[in-house]
Amino acid sequence: MAIVAQSSRTGRISRATLAWIVALLFFFPIFWMVLTSFKTDADAVKPQYLLFFTPTLDNYLNMTDNYDYWRFARNSVITSVFATAFALAVGIPCAYAMAFNPSRHTKDVLMWMLSTKMLPAAAVLYPMTYITKSVGLFDTHFMVIVVLMLINLPIVIWMLFTYFKEIPREIIEAAQMDGVSTWGEIREILIPLAWGGIVSTALLCFIFCWNEAYWTVRLTTTEAATLSKLIEGNRAPEGLFFGRLSAVSAAAVGPIIVLGWFCQKQLVQGLTFGAVK
Amino acid sequence: MSKRTMPRLLQSPAVVLLLVWMLIPLGMTLFFSFIRYVLNSLRRPEWTTPSIENWRGFGNYDFVLGNKDFLLAVQNSLLIVCSILFLTVILGVLIAVLINKAFPGRGIVRVLLISPFFVMPAVNAVLWINMILDPVLGLQGIAVDGINALIRDLQNLPVLGAFFGLWPELSPISFRATQTSAYAVIIMVTWQWTPFAVLIFMTSLQSEDQQQKEAAILDGAGAWSQFRFLTLPHLGRPIAIVVMIQAIFHLSLYAEIEIVSRGNGNKNLPYLIGEFANNNIGAASATGIFAVILANIVAIFLLRMIGKTLME
Repeated sequence: MAIVAQSSRTGRISRATLAWIVALLFFFPIFWMVLTSFKTDADAVKPQYLLFFTPTLDNYLNMTDNYDYWRFARNSVITSVFATAFALAVGIPCAYAMAFNPSRHTKDVLMWMLSTKMLPAAAVLYPMTYITKSVGLFDTHFMVIVVLMLINLPIVIWMLFTYFKEIPREIIEAAQMDGVSTWGEIREILIPLAWGGIVSTALLCFIFCWNEAYWTVRLTTTEAATLSKLIEGNRAPEGLFFGRLSAVSAAAVGPIIVLGWFCQKQLVQGLTFGAVK
Repeated sequence: MSKRTMPRLLQSPAVVLLLVWMLIPLGMTLFFSFIRYVLNSLRRPEWTTPSIENWRGFGNYDFVLGNKDFLLAVQNSLLIVCSILFLTVILGVLIAVLINKAFPGRGIVRVLLISPFFVMPAVNAVLWINMILDPVLGLQGIAVDGINALIRDLQNLPVLGAFFGLWPELSPISFRATQTSAYAVIIMVTWQWTPFAVLIFMTSLQSEDQQQKEAAILDGAGAWSQFRFLTLPHLGRPIAIVVMIQAIFHLSLYAEIEIVSRGNGNKNLPYLIGEFANNNIGAASATGIFAVILANIVAIFLLRMIGKTLME
């Protein structure tokens, strides 16, 4: 018996060690990017300064001069925030109606909404370019916001629907009996009760908008270009600018990684459309 | 107002928006795929406006099917998607099982593991292809140089030096080259999406029937047979879902391909569409329709599976 306990203890320790090694390996590229961002461009490519070097903040301080970082960051913030807000504004009433007044077709409508998400973006690349250019909306915040909202709307509605379904129907029905208006129900009862769910839906939607890299690259040039476009435009620095490129990359992903840590659980529900709980 | 009007009214903005989003661009793509439509043509200027006069029937589809880039792009799409699926599922299951039981610092391990998933694709590609995989200046180049220098030093040793003299000089791999750029894409996307698989498998493992497991242990089942006959069947459904969701995402990979090689020898369908769309809109649209068909084959299975659990 003692031997069994002994071996399971070493087993536990080796499992934990292995888990730590795997986790550190997966995190390493991010660590490396952050580390490189504190090196000068010259030091970043010299093997003798691989781990030990004189750290500098210049790469971060010069982000505006080097890449006009804040303009792109501002565009990313504007487009992601508004796209998320509009997706919620359209999605909350829709998910509310689906969750509390389902009809025979609700399931089909939800499935159909999901199917729009599965349409490959590239298939409609030219029509979208054509439409946006002919109505004069190419490279505008408005167009990017609309597209980001539309591609995330199915996920937003889906997530909200799964959260709203958990609210006991009796509460909503009691309010209906009392003659509260629909808008009143949403504002006074639904939103307070489902606040946690709405916040995590918003966070996840924001992350997806921020990281989007097809439409933001193809439908913008300068005015509405987001961080994805900025990084994509500096794809091949040939080693000359590893330091400054790392800084701008770390600044672009850092806030999102931290946000992501807070919504791991919701991520599962949001990305599997409630099929894995 | 009747009892059914209000719910419909509340749903209509979302439904109308998505309907427009889906029907208009897709309808245009379908139309363009049947006409001759180019952006620039000195010889046939009438082809530069989309019009029913330029009807070509299935001509664009014939052209695309006969184009050697199309076959390469389909092959490459499948190679990339299947490799990523294979790697992420295997790694995902192994890691999820590894961290399923409590151990010191499990929370931090989870946070570290999930992080790559939130890195934007453009940064992911730039980071890997330059700072890690670059054959000269990246970590790969530095590591290969380091190992070669070490071997050279060892060759100067007495007696043992002769043995190390037999070792070949390592040469770094250029991942921007035609033959290897697809592997760079596979590596970086696997890095990004393995956390997703881990997260989902881990969530699913937490609902595994512990009593069944204890009964199996009492019956003398070893770790392997517990894994093989209890855990793996339990993970069947999440694995199917991870495979299908990733298939849909990775069939439209774009930023990574653009950044790694600008499609040099490594086009996938979205990339090929982008190239055609520089001039030959008819061909771009026909390729687009093929991409839709390919995605739909996966989507049908996924939707069926999700539909089953939907109204529970």
